Amino acid sequence: MYTMGVDVGSASSKVVILKDGKDIVAAETVQFGTGSTGPQKALEKAYEVSGLTREDMSFVVATGYGRFNFEGADKQVSEISCHAKGVFHLVPTARTIIDIGGQDAKAIRLDSKGGIKQFFMNDKCAAGTGRFLEVMARVLETTLDQMASLDELADEAAPISSTCTVFAESEVISQLSNGVNRNNIIRGVHLSVASRACGLAYRGGLEKDIVMTGGVAQNAGVVRAMESVLKKDVIVAPHPQTTGALGAALFAFEAAQKK
Amino acid sequence: MSKVETILSQLKDVAANPKKALADYKAETGKGAVGIMPIYAPEELVHATGYLPMGLWGAQGKQISQARTYLPPFACSIMQQIMELQCEGAYDELSAVLFSVPCDTLKCMSQKWKGTSPVIVFTHPQNRGLEAANKFLVTEYELVKKQLEHYLGVTITNADLEKSIAIYNENRAVMREFVEVAAAYPQVIDAVSRHAVFKARQFMLKEKHTELVKELIAEVKAMPVEPWNGKKVIVTGILLEPNELLEIFNEFGLAIVDDDLAQESRQIRVDVLDGEGGPLYRMAKAWQQMYGCSVATDTKKGRGKMLINKVAKTGADAVIIAMMKFCDPEEWDYPIMYREFEEKGIKNLMIEVDQEVTSFEQIKTRLQSFVEMM
Repeated sequence: MYTMGVDVGSASSKVVILKDGKDIVAAETVQFGTGSTGPQKALEKAYEVSGLTREDMSFVVATGYGRFNFEGADKQVSEISCHAKGVFHLVPTARTIIDIGGQDAKAIRLDSKGGIKQFFMNDKCAAGTGRFLEVMARVLETTLDQMASLDELADEAAPISSTCTVFAESEVISQLSNGVNRNNIIRGVHLSVASRACGLAYRGGLEKDIVMTGGVAQNAGVVRAMESVLKKDVIVAPHPQTTGALGAALFAFEAAQKK
Repeated sequence: MSKVETILSQLKDVAANPKKALADYKAETGKGAVGIMPIYAPEELVHATGYLPMGLWGAQGKQISQARTYLPPFACSIMQQIMELQCEGAYDELSAVLFSVPCDTLKCMSQKWKGTSPVIVFTHPQNRGLEAANKFLVTEYELVKKQLEHYLGVTITNADLEKSIAIYNENRAVMREFVEVAAAYPQVIDAVSRHAVFKARQFMLKEKHTELVKELIAEVKAMPVEPWNGKKVIVTGILLEPNELLEIFNEFGLAIVDDDLAQESRQIRVDVLDGEGGPLYRMAKAWQQMYGCSVATDTKKGRGKMLINKVAKTGADAVIIAMMKFCDPEEWDYPIMYREFEEKGIKNLMIEVDQEVTSFEQIKTRLQSFVEMM
């Protein structure tokens, strides 16, 4: 039996196809989110990789910011539930999840059975999210995938005091014009993102293991910053960007079994 | 249309059209209205003048522009809206505005009113355990009375005031009964309708409102009680608007079985009791009896316990905290309540209420996740 999870995020679209609720036969990501061609492209890629079609899917669950706009889903489940499901499936020792996506950040606390005990999301503000990193990468004339390695070259973190993305951008520009080392600014940017996300995690209380997901978890600089702020080890979920889609595919499997 | 639908539709119309409510009142009585700023005011005094007391609780979805001249972006959302409306002259039709100052933002706002209506500012004493506080508040209410008489050209007699107090006490009692009826019949009184019944009382004479709500209660109670398959929640905060947000509650089967909203149940929580000392003194004493509100000093911080008791009484599944954006007093209460809820194992969720916002996707995600979590 094949089931599919589609995570239509704000900045990217992810699709996971599962066989019998266990084996991942496709896990595709396209860097365009809701309102774009991203969801369709991610679907096409997943079908191409797996050699399957929509007719082969016993059940499809959509999640993410654009879940209600995605046509062809049998059900919509929130991304909080899907991330929890996906992460617990991959890391059963997970008790705290910190997910940083394109435009929101979440902290989710799990119980020993994977049930959600509590969750917190950031307010309507891009600070501390992937969008913040995108803006900073542009100002710093680099790319998202280079930021972690440039962070490694830093000798200290330049302070980024503003919590607002727009003000932080001005702050970074003035630091650049004052000759502050670019790598140090990048480390400061990572620390700023980590501090915001950790603020959410503190609200719900921290419990080990702490697992990080979302596109930003692919940035080792942010992960290191998280560990330094929390003073605890942080596990990065395997394929951190597709854990939500995986959770959706698992929910789809459960629903298909009940059909 | 059933009788219930007719009454609800009438109340929804009033709630959605305060301008029309004022125009109708003027046409009918030849008198105007007095604005009542949040959160608490001796409305009975206004009622006794024959003018219509009208709640000023901001607007929804209005883009803030002129208000930025006078308020920092981190002033609370409801005050931003009120300032914008002041700048637009929306309140200029009012014959006066009654302004209490229980928080810093209200205190500062009261000193920079941008409308043309006269503003009557008064203070609630925050040391609420002392008899001296009652005496102080009587003096404040005497000043309010004098200024109302001056601006409106009327005389408020004790007999008028006693009559108004009785009308308000009855309305509060009827609304407390309505809360229980709404909890028992969520299929009939959904979140949008429940809010409209509360909101309409801000733009109607209370005796007329009472009449309609009594009729509504009688009609609803004649129906059979049906089991509720969704979840039951208690909401707390300053207010829970607009209807788009409440519709998300309906969509996910969340029945509001009680509330602790400043705009709603906090307004009907305490009555002006019978007793000695005259009407103003008894009205002042009602302020000391007020409890469970972020702007009424409570050194024992009983709000969380009050909500926990409400959960036990109503069998609610959870508490939803509707946090007014940048409202300091509410933000200060939250960590205490949160800890108490967690200790008691009460599911709870905080959502942010921003009156400027017109998109509710994030709240939708939170509420959906919360329902899934329960």
